[in-house]
Order: sequence, then structure tokens, then C-alpha cells
Amino acid sequence: MPTKGPKESDNTDIRLHRRLRTLYRCNGVFFQAQSEPELLQSICEILVADGELRLAWIGYCENDRTIRPVARAGYDVDILDRVKISWDSIDGGQHPAGVAVETGEPCCLNNIRADPTVSPLGSAAIAHGFSSCIAVPLVARTTQGDMVDLRGALSLYSVAPEPFDESAIEFYVELTTCLTQALVALRGDLAGDLAYDVTTLRAIQERKRSEEALRTARADLARVTQMMAMGEVAASIAHEINQPLTAIVANGNAGLRWLANETLDVEEARAVLKRIVSDGHRASDVIRNIRGSFKNANEERTPLDLSDLIRDTLALLHGELQNHRVSIQCELAEALPKISANRVQIQQVIVNLITNAVDAMSSVMNRARVLRVKSEIDESNHVVVVVEDSGVGIDPKDIDRIFDAFFTTKSHGMGMGLYLCGSITRAHGGRLSAAPRHPHGSVFRVVLPTGEP
Amino acid sequence: MIEGVEAFEAGRSSQRELDALYDSAIKETIQLFEATGSPVITDGEQAKQSFATYSINGLKNIEPGGIPILFADGHVRNFPRLVGGPFHYKTPADVYLEIAQRYAHVPLKQAVISPSALSLLYPQGGIRGYSRQEYLDDLLVEQECEIRRCLQKGAHVVQIDFTEGRLSVKMDPSRRLLDSFIDLNNLLIERFSAEERKRIGVHTCPGGDRHSTHSGDVDYAELLPSLFRLQAGNFYLQLASEPDRKRALKIIRDHSRDGQRIFVGVIDSLDPRVETPEEVKDRILEAAEYIPLDRLGTTDDCGFAPFSDDTSRSRETAFDKIRARVAGTALATKILGIE
Repeated sequence: MPTKGPKESDNTDIRLHRRLRTLYRCNGVFFQAQSEPELLQSICEILVADGELRLAWIGYCENDRTIRPVARAGYDVDILDRVKISWDSIDGGQHPAGVAVETGEPCCLNNIRADPTVSPLGSAAIAHGFSSCIAVPLVARTTQGDMVDLRGALSLYSVAPEPFDESAIEFYVELTTCLTQALVALRGDLAGDLAYDVTTLRAIQERKRSEEALRTARADLARVTQMMAMGEVAASIAHEINQPLTAIVANGNAGLRWLANETLDVEEARAVLKRIVSDGHRASDVIRNIRGSFKNANEERTPLDLSDLIRDTLALLHGELQNHRVSIQCELAEALPKISANRVQIQQVIVNLITNAVDAMSSVMNRARVLRVKSEIDESNHVVVVVEDSGVGIDPKDIDRIFDAFFTTKSHGMGMGLYLCGSITRAHGGRLSAAPRHPHGSVFRVVLPTGEP
Repeated sequence: MIEGVEAFEAGRSSQRELDALYDSAIKETIQLFEATGSPVITDGEQAKQSFATYSINGLKNIEPGGIPILFADGHVRNFPRLVGGPFHYKTPADVYLEIAQRYAHVPLKQAVISPSALSLLYPQGGIRGYSRQEYLDDLLVEQECEIRRCLQKGAHVVQIDFTEGRLSVKMDPSRRLLDSFIDLNNLLIERFSAEERKRIGVHTCPGGDRHSTHSGDVDYAELLPSLFRLQAGNFYLQLASEPDRKRALKIIRDHSRDGQRIFVGVIDSLDPRVETPEEVKDRILEAAEYIPLDRLGTTDDCGFAPFSDDTSRSRETAFDKIRARVAGTALATKILGIE
């Protein structure tokens, strides 16, 4: 068996050393690359770094049966832009990369000049001084044993004669297998990444849907609550209108009786008619107020005097307050600055607060049931409405939750009243707060900005 | 048509000339389609570069070099890749629908691409400043708007092309990718009301191109049970080219749900031979043994040229095949006693 001379042995050692260094660097890239282009370009750069190879490029098969370079490094890389590299058999030969892709095997040309099947790239390669070339397909076997073919190839060019011996071919095939596996690993996360993103998107979509459903439910409940409040208001209105109507009927009967007398007392008859007219006006005013309340029922905001609104509201709820034997203490500021507000909504807040106060006092038997309603202007030039009652008060453990939707301490409550009061107040740029009142009851404060909210 | 597009791409003809060419191709296709007697027609996707990339063709933030899709005959189609956000469609499908509506006299089915297919645009290495999640969110908005506009403009049905179902099993045999695809597509479909979903369908096939497929070697049984998790009202299923149709029909019977209409493929669009009406009739009668008649319909396995450069089948063959489908369906309808 022939032995290698010292020089040949040295060359082998140098080559082995180079390959080990190349492998070491490539391994680092296989593990660290964040993207496919980065991985491919880094490998090409490492392969040409030690000078043994002049050009390294990696290409993928294209729809039109060409091979498109996706990474390149070394000398004369622009040569790849000047030729069309096909993976199809064409007249004049096929490029080694095309052969490698088609056969799944490495294709080595140790002497480009001498090879009759050399491709169009061959003549350009010769012109640039390349004398040998190897192309290795991007194929590998997965850990499950499946064959993976990425339909691409790594091509390497050298100026040295006969550089691709058996051990070199083996080395580059091994390296390309590792490269293919690294590419597969990089692409293989797709399922996991997509699953994570889709799950997150579904969670976001479902949260949006829940919020939308909650918004709809709240709107429905607000409408129901408003209807309920309107029902209560309607009962009060009926009471208010019934009074003048009863008076009109009574005065009418009195008038008829006067007319039936033989001696007509004109003054008495006039007085009766005046009372009828006055009661008629009263009834008309009540109806006008109702129309005023509902005319701007939606979002329309108008300048509003809160003291006037409180007076109107108390008048509407007069019957309700009387029925529950509630005495009223009013301290309404005169010449209060006007606020820009939706009359119906702010009235709904006041109705709700007064109704709550009445409810809170309904079980009180051992002390006076007093409702105190106050309007004033604070030091920040905000208009403040205070509604105080002498009822059972708010349990301190509930104080942070009373403005939450669906929170109620009443057996018949829906838990929407105070929530809506808070929403409406906030929508007007204001705030609503509650506090215990000494020695009994609660205090609710509505603070609203003057002018435009 | 192919020459016309090449001339435009080479700068030898104007956009106006190209549009006129598309217009006349669509008009002719619709006339020929209507002449087959098919109760529902399409525009043959004449103006689309491909069924998958029609909406993104010409976008500045799309480049070549995405995921390569290998076909059984060795040819490859490289999907493009996204290089930056935000993502918006350039040409949504309702643009094509409007053109087709100018010439159509019968209901039009409009094809759109699935979110799962376009999810593959996003590079695995990510895009700085634009996450995959942001991309998918943008994508779903674009696709929802596209389908809504198609429905509002009067599409008879909007068909979501989901040809990557079987392919996903090939890419990831654990089927995690398929599950993600189904979930992603459901995120889109669930944005529509139950009534709207009756006009939304899903098409699946093993991805035909030229004389080959990209995932015909993947067992249909890997896909079908998951497929019917999609919340669509209609399913357009490749079946004629299936080697064991009865087996596939059994799976369809066992996994499809009430309210899901099944349009079985009775024409093998890859086979150059034109089926006879008798063959079509037999395929329908076979399907009727497994699928209730009120949920059964017929379709072609796939489009006849999903990519604009595919010349493997002639227009004459395509329309002869559609005529066979219509005639065969009429024969089966008579035998089954339904109108």
C-alpha cells in the first residue's frame, strides 16, 4: 500500500483543518440563524471565506424550470445574473445544479473545460477562471425517516484543478444535508407558530364578541330601565293630571248647580269658571312637561338649568314621595350656571337617585323619612347635585360595587339603575359618587361640568 | 390570452389593451359557460394570475422566494412572501365579480382564496415591526370585506378555495398545521351570520396544476373529518379523481353535519378524457347512497387551469366536461325523482 509523502500529508492536514473550521462555523449558523435568507447567505459566506472556493451560491427551483439564486458569496457573483440556469435538459448541456436537483445526487465537474455537457454557465465560468464545480441537492432524511427534498442546490466553484475528490464530495454532501435539516427545522415551526397566533386571535375575537354582547345587553337593559322609570313617571303624571281633572269636574258640577239656582250669582259662577280654566292650564302644563321630557330623548344636548330640572322632577315624583311619606328638603341654588346636557338622560339620573332614596327609606319606621335635594356650584365651577336620604345606608363592603352593572341589594332590583347613572354622568364629562351619611342614610353627589362637556 | 399577458409584461401592450383582452375573455367564457346549461357559472377566473395570488399580485410588499410547493410530476410553484406591513389587498375578488356580472344571465359563484393559503405569505423568520399576528389580523379584515362585498353585490355563493388542506398534512404529518388552518379559516367564516354562511362554501382538492397535483398522495381520510369542522354552509369536494370514492363518501357521510350541503366532484378536471353523461350520472347515484338528496349537489373536481400559464387542457375540453356534468346531473335528477 503506497504511503503519502510528507508534502502530500501536509496538504491533507491543511484541507482537513479547513474543513473542520468550516464545519464548526456552519454549525454555529445552523443553530443561530433567525431566518432562511440569513442562514443561506451565512453558509455561502463561510464556504468561500478560507479561499479554497471562489464562488458559492444556493438556488431554488422556479415555476419556469429555472433555478433562482437566493444566496451567493465569493468572487464574480454577478455571473449568476447574466445566465439563465435551468433544471430542465436543454441543448448545450445542463447546469450541475439542475442535474443535482433532478437526480437528487451531487453533480461534480472537476474540469469544466473538458466536460462536453457543460451548461451555458460553463463558458461564463471558464471566462471567470473557474475550472471546477460541484452542485449538491438540498435533500435530507428527517428524524421520522421521511425524505425531504427542498428542490434546490448548493453550488461551489473552484479555480484549483481536481479539488473535489471523494472526501471533499462526502464533506459537502454531509454539510448540505445539515443545511437542509436546519432549513427544515426553521420552516418546521410554522405549525406551532400559526397555532399560537390563531389561538390568540380567536381569544381576541371572542373577547370582542363578548364585549359586543355585553354592550347590547346593557343597551337593552338601559332601555328596559328607562321604560320602568317611565312607568313610574307615568304613574306620577297620571296622579298629577288626575288632580286638576278631578277639580275641573268638581268645579263644573258646582257651576251647573249655580246655574240651576233661580237667582244666578254671577260672581260665584265666574269664580268657578276661573278655577276650571286654571286647573285646565295645570293639566296642560303637566302634559307640556311630559312632551318636553321626551322630545330630546336621544343624544341631543341643550343648555340646562339643573335646579329647574330638579324642581320638575320632584313635581313628577310628588305622588310617589307622598305615598311613601317622604318629606322633602330642597336647597336649590338660584342662577346656577347652565350645563350642556341631554335633559332626558340627566332627568333619568335624578329620578333613579330619588327612587333609590325612597326605596332605601321604605323600611324605616322609627325616624323621619327625609329626602334632601341640593344643587350648588363648587370651587371648580362645577355644578353639583346632592341627593341625601335617611334610609338604611350602604353596607361599607358594597360601596365599591354599587356602580357596577347588575349589582343590587334589592330583592326586586336589576342592578342597572346606579350603573346607568354612572354611565350617563361620565358621558357628560362628570362623576357620580356615594358616601354614608351620618347618622343614617346615604349621600349621592353628581358633579357635572358647566358649558360644553 | 397568455400571449397578451406576456406582451403586457414585456411592455409591448398597454394596461388598457390588457383589460380589453381580459374583458373579452370573460365575456366569451361566460357565454360558453351559460351555453352548457349549468345553473350556476363562474368567470373561469380569466383575469386572475392564479387562484391563490390574484389579490396580492402587484403589491409592493410582496416578493418572490416564499414557500415552494412541489407537485408530483416534479414541477414547483414558489409562493411569494411578504416583506413588510401593513397588509392590504390590491385586487379583491369582487372586482372580478363586477366584470362578470356585466355579461352573466345566470347566478355567479365567486371564488376567493382562503386565509390559510395566504397565511403562508408570512416568512417564518418574521418581519421586523410587523408580527404574524398583526398580519393575520389585517388579512382577516381584508378577506371579510372581500366576501361581504361579493355577497352584497349579488354573488350566488362565495367559494373559499382551500386546496392546501391535504398539502398541510404533507408539510406537517402531525396535522397540527391542518388544525391551525381550519381554525384560522373558521375565524373568517364565523364573522358572518348563519344566514350569510348559507352562501359561503369551501372548495378542496389536492391542488391540481398541469397534469399533476401537489398532495394527491395524501390520504383524503387525513383531511375530511377536520374539513367539516369548517362553519361554511357548502362544500365543493374533489371526488371524481379519488381512487376509492366509496371510502371518501363514507367519511363524508359520517363527518358532515346537517345544514352542510355537499357538492361532489363528478368531473375529473385533470383527466384529458371527457366523461360521458352516463358516467356522471353513475357517480351522482353512487354519492346519493351516502348523502341525503336535499344536501347533495354536483361540481367539477377543480378549476380547469388554476394558474394562468397552465395550458394542459384546452377550453374545448373544459366546456365539453362541464356539458357532461350538466347532462349527467339531469339524468341522475330524473332517476332520483327530484327537480
